[in-house]
Amino acid sequence: MAKKNREVTRAERAAAAILEQRRRERLRQVWIIGGVVVAVLAIVVIGVLIQSNRDTTGTPLAATAVPAGVTDTYGVVIGDANAPTTVEVYEDFQCPICREFEQATRDKLRAAVAAGRIKIDYRMVSFLDSSSTTNYSSRALNAAAVVLDTSGKDVFLKFHDLLYENQPAEGSAGLSNDQLIQYAVQAGAKESAVRPGIEGDEFAQWVTNTQDEMSKNGVTGTPSVFVDGKYAGNDLQSGIDAALKAAG
Amino acid sequence: MKPWLALVARLVTGGVWVAAGAIKLPDPYESVRAVRAYDLLPESIVPTVGHLLPVLEIVIGLALIVGLLTRGAAVVSALLFVLFIIGIASVWARGIQIECGCFGGGGAKSGASSSYPWEIARDLGLLVLSASVFWAGRSRLALDNLLFRRTPEGT
Repeated sequence: MAKKNREVTRAERAAAAILEQRRRERLRQVWIIGGVVVAVLAIVVIGVLIQSNRDTTGTPLAATAVPAGVTDTYGVVIGDANAPTTVEVYEDFQCPICREFEQATRDKLRAAVAAGRIKIDYRMVSFLDSSSTTNYSSRALNAAAVVLDTSGKDVFLKFHDLLYENQPAEGSAGLSNDQLIQYAVQAGAKESAVRPGIEGDEFAQWVTNTQDEMSKNGVTGTPSVFVDGKYAGNDLQSGIDAALKAAG
Repeated sequence: MKPWLALVARLVTGGVWVAAGAIKLPDPYESVRAVRAYDLLPESIVPTVGHLLPVLEIVIGLALIVGLLTRGAAVVSALLFVLFIIGIASVWARGIQIECGCFGGGGAKSGASSSYPWEIARDLGLLVLSASVFWAGRSRLALDNLLFRRTPEGT
C-alpha cells in the first residue's frame, strides 16, 4: 500500500516537472519573440528616420534661395503676362523626349509668344539625376537658375535652348560645369557672374524642391504640357499636339 | 521534403524583397514620388509611406532569408503583396499609366498599362510563395530552429 502511494506521487511529480518545464519553455519563447519583434521594429523606425532625414525635398526656401525672375516660385514665364493662353511645360534638361518636344514645338511656340497669342510657363524640374554619372539633371537646372538669376529671362531662354541642342546622352557623364558655363556665356551671360553660382550649386535646395512641386501638382513625368491648366496627356505626341494647337 | 521547399520559397521571396528595397534605398524621394503617383493615399502620409517601404522591404526580405520569425515575416510579406496588387489593379482600372515603382523608378510612363497584367501576375506568384512559407511552418536552415528548439517529448 505504502509502496503504491510512493509510485503515484513520483509519477505525479514527474508529470508536474514536465509541465513546469513546458511552461518555462513557452515563457522563454514569448520573451524571444517579443525581443526580436521589438528589435526589428526599432530597425525599421531608425531606417525610416534615416530615409526621411536624407530626403530634403520640400525644405522651405529662404527668399535668397529662389532665383530672381521666377513666377510662383518655380515657373519661368516667357512672353506677355496678359496673353490669352498659357502653355505650361514641365521639362528636365536630361530628358530625351523633352528634347524631342522642343524640336517639334519650339519655333512655333516662340512665334506665338512673339505674336502675343500665348505665354509659356516653363516649369523646369530635376528628377533624372540617376540618368548620368554626375547628377547632370540637377547641375543643369542649377546652372539655368543661376543664369536666370544673374542675367534675366532672355539669356535663360537661350541657355535653355542650347542645353537641349547639346543634350548629353543618358548614362553619360553629362556636360561638365565648365561646359555649362561656356554655354551660359554663349547665351549672353557674363562668366564672372555665373561661375560661382554654377560651381557652388547655389540653388541646390530650390532644384531639389522642384521634384516635390512637380509631384504635388500631379505631374509624374516630363515633358508634361498644360494648356490653360488642362493636362494634355502623358505621351509625347499629345503634348506636342496640344502645344501646337495652342500656338495656332 | 516540405521543409526544403519552404526554404526555397523563403529564399526566392526574401531575395526579391531585398533587391526591391535596396534599389530604392539610395534615393528616398524617388519612392515618395512613386507612392504619390498611385494617387491612393492622403498627401499627409505619402512621404512617410515612401520612406517606410524600402526599409520594410529589406527587413522583411532579410527575415525571410535568415528564417527569423519566419511565419510573421511571411504574413507581412503576403499582406504587402496584397496591397501592391490592389494598388496596381486600381491604377489599371482608373486608366492611370504609371511605372509601378516596384524596383525603383515610378511616375508616369506612357504605355505602362501593358505591363500591369504581368506585374500583377508576378505579385500573385510571390503572394502564393509567401503563403506557402506560412503554411509550411518549419523550414530548413532557419534561425527560428535555433531560437525555438522543440521541447523533447515524453520521458
